[in-house]
Amino acid sequence: MDFKGIDHLLELVHLELNEEEKGKISKDLAQILKYVSQLSKVDTKGVEPMNGGTFLENVMREDKLGKKEDKHNQLKKAAPSRQGDYFKTPPIV
Amino acid sequence: MIMIEELHQKLVNKEISDRDLVESYFDIIEKKDSQIKAFLTLNKNEALAQATIVDRKIQQGEEIGLLTGIPFAAKDNMITEGIRTTAGSKILENYIGSYDAFVIQQLKKEGAILLGKTNLDEFAMGSSTENSAFFPTRNPYDLERVPGGSSGGSAAAVASGMVPFALGSDTGGSIRQPASFCGTVGFKPTYGAVSRLGLIAMASSLDVIGPLAQSVEDAEIVFKYIKGKDKMDSTSFDLPSTEKKDRPIKDLRIGIPEEYFGEGVDKEVKEKIKEVIEKIEKAGAKIEKINLANNSFALPCYYIIMPAEVSTNLARYDGIRYAPLSVKEGQVFNTLHDLYFKTRGLGFGREVRRRLVLGTYILSKGYYEAYYKKAQRVRRLLTQEWKAAFQKVDFIITPTTPTPAFKLGEKTNNPLSMYLSDIFTVGANIVGNPAINLKAGETKNKLPIGLQILGAHFSDYSLLSFAKKVERLISL
Repeated sequence: MDFKGIDHLLELVHLELNEEEKGKISKDLAQILKYVSQLSKVDTKGVEPMNGGTFLENVMREDKLGKKEDKHNQLKKAAPSRQGDYFKTPPIV
Repeated sequence: MIMIEELHQKLVNKEISDRDLVESYFDIIEKKDSQIKAFLTLNKNEALAQATIVDRKIQQGEEIGLLTGIPFAAKDNMITEGIRTTAGSKILENYIGSYDAFVIQQLKKEGAILLGKTNLDEFAMGSSTENSAFFPTRNPYDLERVPGGSSGGSAAAVASGMVPFALGSDTGGSIRQPASFCGTVGFKPTYGAVSRLGLIAMASSLDVIGPLAQSVEDAEIVFKYIKGKDKMDSTSFDLPSTEKKDRPIKDLRIGIPEEYFGEGVDKEVKEKIKEVIEKIEKAGAKIEKINLANNSFALPCYYIIMPAEVSTNLARYDGIRYAPLSVKEGQVFNTLHDLYFKTRGLGFGREVRRRLVLGTYILSKGYYEAYYKKAQRVRRLLTQEWKAAFQKVDFIITPTTPTPAFKLGEKTNNPLSMYLSDIFTVGANIVGNPAINLKAGETKNKLPIGLQILGAHFSDYSLLSFAKKVERLISL
């Protein structure tokens, strides 16, 4: 498995890693991918993919406004940077 | 060990006040937890205040439910209003829950008393609790060994008598494997039987909440209060009430898959499980060898589906709404890009990072068909295979884990060897079946050996009822 693309992957994951860890993670991933690749031995011709779930019945609800709960004060507390009721971020570019 | 029913009677008969009861458990925690380290956060003041309310109710002659006043612990990936909820991760070390998870709401409604939040592998990713960003938990049977994971804190807390029961979550074995290592009962219900509202998501199509307790009866009591359809979780449902619950052992057919007794399974584990199977056979059940030919593909299938779901679920931790405390200490970022990358790099531990990268790779263009779609097809095959097996037998019995608890540090440098400790438990998550761990006995070195019973979809009550009978046979 080619892992020259690790930088590209980290870009997609939004993760900063140092060089040592990049090396280690590439090695681990190669080992894990080799292990999971044994699935290619299973004949799945004509088998539909399955997402999961057990009780497969459509769930409907009325299009009605629910009770409004005032949770925003508690929610915003975990944010490292905020101004009033807003989350504060650095410039986008 | 004291059971829920017994504690309930003591409260009703006023042999003990709830305040004294709750305090006695905190005393045990104080005595034992400095070594075992099962808890991340304690909820002492609120717990004692709630106990006082329960005592008043009892004094006034109000009728109380079975769980009223009974202490419990919850794995720290279940959101608790006003109490820190970390999921074992630095990225949430400062997060206080803004609502109660459905299961917490249900137990609070009954008057059960939350003593604290238990340790886990970060975001429930691991099989030893060593991936917790805070500290590892230790096995009460041998402090040099792991309690299993990811619900290791809950299992260790129950096993050491620090709480009568605890809640855990099971994505690939995270209730049953630690229950096996710590010698407790651990029940994973059918996928969807318990709402996931407020369970911090790991892999949404696999995650299930369930109880860890000292006995099957206690696990059943807790399950009755936490189960049921919740409009906030569309995959949840009410178990059909038509199900045949209590069938005598002599009417049952038990399947034994040979694949679970092969190479790599510890000799003492094998012998002990076979001993229990013989007891069940003597009690009149029909024992049948069965074949789950594709079952060895359950673990590789899991290591595709799970990281794929993990990589999407954990995208929400972007550093804007949640961040590790180290970022709070005045770190300034030049751009948003910089903030995302640095916060996630600092906030996520090694195993989480590994699974994020793996999941993203699997879902990326060019690999999606070969890995993710393939795994989903294998998932359907496995589901069909299990369904066919449960037409022939009522329950399947296997070891829960190939070996007893391993030592701390033994598998931390080799992720694949750590993953393999879930080899017998992941099947039930891929397929969605209910499964339970019972303590079958101990090794010569006094380590618990776990026995797993698997049932068909929606057979939760029959499974619990059969497990009670097996528990009795083991104790004879």
